[in-house]
Amino acid sequence: MKLFKSLSVAAMAIALVASSISSVGAASSLKGKIVINGSSALLPLTLQAANEFKKLNPKVKISASAAGSITGPQSVRKGIADIGAVDWDASTDVPGFKKFDGQVANKVAVIPFAAVANKNVGVSNLTTKQLQDIFSGKVTNWKDVGGSDASIIVVNRAFGSGTRVNFQMKALAGSEFLSKGSNYKEVKSSGDMKTAIETTPNAIGYIDLVYVTSNMKALQINGVAPSEANVINGTYKVWGFGYFMTKGKPEGAVKAFIEYIQSVKFQNGSLKKLKFIPISAIK
Amino acid sequence: MQLDTSAPNPVISTNSSELGGSIKTGSGKLFDRKNRLLFYNRAFKIACIASAAFVCLILFSILFFMFRTGVLTFRDVSPMTFFFSSDWSPENESYGAFIFIFGTFALTILTLLISVPLSIVIAVFLAEVAPGWMRNFLRPILDLLVGIPSVVYGFLGLTILIPLLRDITGTNMGDGILAAAIVLTIMVLPTISRISDDAISVVPKKYRDASYALGATRFQTIFKVTIPAARSGIMYGVILGMARAIGETMAVVMVIGNTPQLADALFKPTSVLTSNIVMQIANVPFDSTWNNALYMMGFLLLVISLLMIVLVRLLQRKGAHQ
Repeated sequence: MKLFKSLSVAAMAIALVASSISSVGAASSLKGKIVINGSSALLPLTLQAANEFKKLNPKVKISASAAGSITGPQSVRKGIADIGAVDWDASTDVPGFKKFDGQVANKVAVIPFAAVANKNVGVSNLTTKQLQDIFSGKVTNWKDVGGSDASIIVVNRAFGSGTRVNFQMKALAGSEFLSKGSNYKEVKSSGDMKTAIETTPNAIGYIDLVYVTSNMKALQINGVAPSEANVINGTYKVWGFGYFMTKGKPEGAVKAFIEYIQSVKFQNGSLKKLKFIPISAIK
Repeated sequence: MQLDTSAPNPVISTNSSELGGSIKTGSGKLFDRKNRLLFYNRAFKIACIASAAFVCLILFSILFFMFRTGVLTFRDVSPMTFFFSSDWSPENESYGAFIFIFGTFALTILTLLISVPLSIVIAVFLAEVAPGWMRNFLRPILDLLVGIPSVVYGFLGLTILIPLLRDITGTNMGDGILAAAIVLTIMVLPTISRISDDAISVVPKKYRDASYALGATRFQTIFKVTIPAARSGIMYGVILGMARAIGETMAVVMVIGNTPQLADALFKPTSVLTSNIVMQIANVPFDSTWNNALYMMGFLLLVISLLMIVLVRLLQRKGAHQ
């Protein structure tokens, strides 16, 4: 670990020197410190962008960390962070969370979500109505939605999860979740959701599209399969923007950093590699 | 330095007088050896006292901080509701923590019901029955078990125990208080059995001899004489195990189902104080009643474990008096 660290430090130093030599004329005079906190789903994207941005602007210091989505706009309000990463537009009201006044939402990525079920589930397509009935506890047996006779195990993310907010708004059209029952459980993270769906027969849940594996079944919603192509062509509706919240309009180094993430080069390069969808792809 | 050049004969005598004199006279005037030693002694004493004070400071500031934030809960929620209502839905402003408090105690009791008899049997086997080579082999193994990180237990519980429970009992999910109690049992088993083992081992041989001399069987001796004599040591182990079971978070959160409903069945997803805190703390708004309520739960846990430690101390004292 130590060796790896020092190696990567050395590599970065070399890269820095190289970039400063090669671009002496173009070297940016941008200075400043950017603190980013918030959604863990957006963290890989933020880190990647921060690394690239620091190479271009060696005088800008960026520190990024993640907890829950809601901590992003909160840290911005408290002045702890300059950028709050969040999976929903925190400048408007969403189910369960009030809007944050005076904050500006800057779109940085498109995050698709999928309804997923255990491999043993025979159903492969659900309508919005059926999803609402299942997640509100009205339908409790797979046979009522065209499957075999077995109880439906509903796996939900805990209240406050950005994935939960998005799924509720986009896939369930805002309808409420059930919160009790002997066939209902909540999990802490996308990783736990993945394990729960993979190992629990008759389970249904939802997850970021990038987490969908071949050991689970991604369900079609209203006959449309969850895929990047279907998000881009507009037929698959269950996706959300990832946002960087700032206090007022972004300025200086923060503005440059957000513009860098939104740039065509980053959106079509690193962002795609991390399996997000460029914001420009959405019409 | 001058000593080295003097004649070899008087070296021994001057050396010894030099040793005695060095404490009194030394080299410097103000900072001679005596003062230096005094200074070192005092400095070390102050450093020790400061370290001890620092530990106390940490403990009390944790207590103070948890309490200060936690007690704000009662601005918006009455203590009656908080402790006795079983409706926990923070999104609708209902903050009844009874489910979690009940869950914590139910889980701990269930864990002890399974683990204590097992541990005592293991301890008796180790201390009284097992041959020497087996004892020397088993004791380090139990000690190693104590050191396994709880997340490993939780992960194995999630991937092996829960599917197993589902197959055996035919329930739909397998998550719940029984799964959590089994995982915790495996975690506290080494603690309780090793401490009980030590307690049984130090019971004086004369007790056993007297028992045998009165015609008692080996079984009678173990259960009527040895175990009662080691009682306070065994209790000490049980309480340490209990404290670990109450505070355990990672292993529990993975197998308990995390649903705010009363644990009135063995296979019903439920939630305890620790698991609820870790599930929700990352997602709560900073200055909300919800956040304060979670701090209050943390404070409750702290108080429970402090009480346990006081109990352990009392038992130790009682054991020492016997």
